[in-house]
Amino acid sequence: MRIALIPGVPALLPEHASLEDPVAELRAAVLAAVSWLGDDVEILATEQGRRVALSVLAARSGSCGPERSVLVVANGSACRTEKAPGFLDERAEAFDAALAHALTTPDAAALRAVDPTLAADLWADTAALPRLADLLGDDARTVAIDHDDAPYGVQYWVIRWEL
Amino acid sequence: MTLRLRKHAFDDDATLMMAIVNRTPDSFFDKGATWAEDAAFERVRLVVEQGAEIVDIGGIKAAPGVEIGPAEEKARVVDFVARVRAEFPALVISVDTWRAEVGAAVCEAGADVLNDAWGGADPELVDVAAQYDAAIVCTHTGGVTPRTRPYRIEYDDVMRAVLDDTLAYAERALAAGVARESIVIDPAHDFGKNTFHSLEVTRRLGEMVATGWPVLVSLSNKDFVGETLDRPVGERLLGTLAATAICASAGARIYRVHQVEETRQVVDMAWTIAGRRRPARAIRGLQ
Repeated sequence: MRIALIPGVPALLPEHASLEDPVAELRAAVLAAVSWLGDDVEILATEQGRRVALSVLAARSGSCGPERSVLVVANGSACRTEKAPGFLDERAEAFDAALAHALTTPDAAALRAVDPTLAADLWADTAALPRLADLLGDDARTVAIDHDDAPYGVQYWVIRWEL
Repeated sequence: MTLRLRKHAFDDDATLMMAIVNRTPDSFFDKGATWAEDAAFERVRLVVEQGAEIVDIGGIKAAPGVEIGPAEEKARVVDFVARVRAEFPALVISVDTWRAEVGAAVCEAGADVLNDAWGGADPELVDVAAQYDAAIVCTHTGGVTPRTRPYRIEYDDVMRAVLDDTLAYAERALAAGVARESIVIDPAHDFGKNTFHSLEVTRRLGEMVATGWPVLVSLSNKDFVGETLDRPVGERLLGTLAATAICASAGARIYRVHQVEETRQVVDMAWTIAGRRRPARAIRGLQ
């Protein structure tokens, strides 16, 4: 099974295209990761995240074939700087660091342990993480960390796992 | 409609800045600032840096004054066109002239557009445009003689007159062999019009756009702006830009201007509000 994580960034949607793409690096990473998935992709996401997932799947350059695949939409805090959508929250950096460790290891128990109240305080999109933890279990290995950045004060990851 | 200005083709949704470059000692706005050839050339360099896609080179001011014959007009513009052509191969060169004789000479020197501000006063100008595969700007002047001011001109319906005359001119150009994609129409604000006429033409510009012909507007610092706001030449930029925004909203494609950068921003803003252009870089609220 192949699993990919992308952030549900509305700027990725075609209706929000600019003359200069403000998320060009993220978009390239997202398209590379979703093109690595199989033909039929199960989506784990909020309603808004699902729209982003469907859009990038429609825009991908190919797929790996019939292998079972899951696309998870989630991201870290939106409170990393004073210019961030949720303003600066001193807890954001540690929250994102812990989440980064849990995702990249991967550590299913740590993903299940993410505090939903703190996540909400920090405007993080973590709704799909419990189900991601179930999928990853103890046997998944990280294939690639395509993107790890917080360019607008919002923590994004694009990660691929396989099991 | 797709627009082709001789060798230069533009997308259907492109707007173009046509920067005015006067090789005259007496034009109303710059008052001879670019009369000297080197000064005019510096002006071309500047407007190219500012992003102008077109320069409109003129050798005779529009208002009445000392008569300038074809020989003198050619002396002012032909070699200059050749020099600009050599230095800026990607730049569209327009020449503001009503004379076929001058049109032929500047096309030979590399001009791409004949901007006939006087509404076809010389019937052979379209033949010259066709001969050189150049573009032509078809203006409405109400039939006045070149370099005369409007005096007590009345129209039953000024936009009807503008449409009738510019479309007839466009058809005449087409019949003469000018390429369909190289014909532009222009209501010619202030030409054969009082301020009320120019305001109405601005208000109803969408009727010209609806014809499908690309529309050029020449609003820059003109008297209808000055009279509307009671501002002398030199204090008409804001009024010009307001009129520009209205014309951009209606869908005008080419803007003949003194101030390139300011007009470009206004046109881009209005064009984007109208949904014809993407924002430069939008991320607010979409991270």
